[in-house]
Amino acid sequence: MAIRSSVQTKPVQFGKYNKERISSKTRRAIVAYAFLLPVIIYFSVFFFYPIALELWASLRNGLPLVGESQFVGLDNYQQIFQDKRVLHSFKVTLIYSVGSTIITAVIGLILALILNQKIRGRVIIRSIIFFPYMISVVIIALLWGNILDPYVGILNSFLYAIGLDGQYWLTDINAALPAVISLVVWQNMGYAMVIYLAGLQNIPEQYYEAARIDGASSLHLFRYITLPLLAPTTLFITVIGMIGNLQAIAPAYLITRGGPADATNLFAYHVFNVAFDELRIGYASALAFMMFAVIFVLTMIQFKIAGNQVEY
Amino acid sequence: MKKNHLSRRNFLKLSATSALALGLGPVREIYPSKAQEEGVVTIYWNPGHVYDTYQKVIDQFQTDFPGWTVNWEKYQWPDMRTKLLADFAAGNPPDMTAEPGGWVQEFALGGQIRSLTEFIEADGEAIEFPDDWQDYTISRNSHEGEIYGMQIHLTCGLMFYNVDMLEAAGFPTPPTTWDEFLEVAKATTERNVFGFAPNQSSGYSWAWLLQNNVQYYDPDTNTVPMDTQDAIDAMQFQADLIHVHKVAPIPIAAADYEGPQKLFTANRAAMIITGPWDIKPTRDGNPDLNWDVAPALTGQRQSTFTGGVSMMIPKDAKNPEMGWELMKRFTALDVELEATKEAGMTMPRKSWSTDEVLEEIPYIAEFGRGLNYAEDTTAELRRTGKFGEIDPLFNKAYEEIIYTNRAADESLIEFVTEANRILSES
Repeated sequence: MAIRSSVQTKPVQFGKYNKERISSKTRRAIVAYAFLLPVIIYFSVFFFYPIALELWASLRNGLPLVGESQFVGLDNYQQIFQDKRVLHSFKVTLIYSVGSTIITAVIGLILALILNQKIRGRVIIRSIIFFPYMISVVIIALLWGNILDPYVGILNSFLYAIGLDGQYWLTDINAALPAVISLVVWQNMGYAMVIYLAGLQNIPEQYYEAARIDGASSLHLFRYITLPLLAPTTLFITVIGMIGNLQAIAPAYLITRGGPADATNLFAYHVFNVAFDELRIGYASALAFMMFAVIFVLTMIQFKIAGNQVEY
Repeated sequence: MKKNHLSRRNFLKLSATSALALGLGPVREIYPSKAQEEGVVTIYWNPGHVYDTYQKVIDQFQTDFPGWTVNWEKYQWPDMRTKLLADFAAGNPPDMTAEPGGWVQEFALGGQIRSLTEFIEADGEAIEFPDDWQDYTISRNSHEGEIYGMQIHLTCGLMFYNVDMLEAAGFPTPPTTWDEFLEVAKATTERNVFGFAPNQSSGYSWAWLLQNNVQYYDPDTNTVPMDTQDAIDAMQFQADLIHVHKVAPIPIAAADYEGPQKLFTANRAAMIITGPWDIKPTRDGNPDLNWDVAPALTGQRQSTFTGGVSMMIPKDAKNPEMGWELMKRFTALDVELEATKEAGMTMPRKSWSTDEVLEEIPYIAEFGRGLNYAEDTTAELRRTGKFGEIDPLFNKAYEEIIYTNRAADESLIEFVTEANRILSES
């Protein structure tokens, strides 16, 4: 049977007008866009439009979006570099993000390596470790806020019971941020473990067999086979982790309110306070755009550094 | 075969008809009057103040106005603030909302709430507003000579003390001066028990600052005059309780202000400074605790901070008259007394503070007396529109002094310099 060319033109009477029949390629494109239209509308309304509005607000002082405001150009952006609190919160956020991301990835990898072995009960153990990831961050914040309470919390009560001194987890400016990082790692390590498990199970066993035949030790197998072939997984976990942690607000908002003495004043929390407590919506919008730029640059750097070493 | 198709003309007719049927809907006035037979009144409230007394007020309102329903939405203060701002931006605010203190001036300055003048002219005399309200509750809810808010709760900070602990330490009565306070705190501190538990919020430090004649904002000079020796001494005194005398723990950086009350209820602190909002949690948390409320201490003078919730009506409220009606009912004297009996909350009416019923309600009589010498610290600064920028700086200075034991003069001078720079830009 002859296959008709997909490109055929034929004049068609359409009311008073003559139009060429729409090609099937164009028709397929129209159908594709028709299916994409709801998503395009959704993202336009709930993402791109608010972002455009926020960009407009970042160029204004007063109460843009809510009340009266005045155009001030780039004044809000200039103010960012002179604002000590912004620089401090950015530093806190960087420590929080890098610490949480790296520790989560390392612990997730270790757990995956262990639980990839044929151990009795490994499915249950994996589920238990993954469970915190499924819990709402609000519940985790309330739970750990109580556990870490230096005066009536379970952790210090346990330490006292075994003869040790309690620690000022949430009142010591040097302990508060590590405490917050710890609970975030606790929540997310199960997720990292699951992703790494998937990556491990995709590594062909033949590589290990061949290496063993050549006399490779376990350390050699890990260093020269496992780790390089897990590079795409590691890249994914660290990139997604960094993006999420740079935008984190929940620990500061729910547990410490940015304290003590701004020790856990994450950038997103600071932006939230500037917008809703201080009612400096224009300045807060500028801060949000700056953070977007920082996340973008850091992500590109991550891809550049780590991406070159990814093997597939 | 003739194909059925939708011509452009028919398509346009169908679209227009659909738009008329669906788009217009029932026509409704933007500001319906009470004469309207039915509707929904939306009010925003704090879940900590959802008393049975107020539920009865709402039930009675719905009985008196059949066809009207009260949509009573509850939010914690930070969430309510973000919700309100979003509502203002969308032009869809509630008909009336509670506020924790200070929002009335802010939103009046921004033009987002309605002046109550027309309502007061119609109903004020009947409900004795503003005459029966404590005077400073009127000034803290006013802007440029007009009243924008109505106080519903009026609180102040006094000392809760553990009667048994003080007696065991040889103090049958609570302290009245700073020196006595320090003596009692030292005597009642032992392993895992503190003489005093401070709060992490800088607002609570105002008891000490006011008692030492410190002012937050001077409207005459448009400055924050908190780099005085009196202010430094008051802040250093608080820090020394923790770091020098070791009679107080470092407060917990938490999302709530319940830390001191929890320690007090758990018999881990002999004294705390707090308000009537902690009466019920303390009573419920430890019914066997033998405690009482003491008057504010006297430094250079006797004073304490005041606070409390007000109500306001957004400018774009769809049912402002109904919002006002509920405001009147929530603040009736009998409702105030019922709420006090139920929850231990203190109220703004002068007639409330002198009602003999208060003497029968545990702990409340002292708060009634305290309201007479309590002071509002922030109203003047809020009217500048710069409170939102300045108060976080004060909070930071407070936390540095308390948490890191930074010298009070250094922190306060840095705070005052920055605060006055902000004020000078206005």
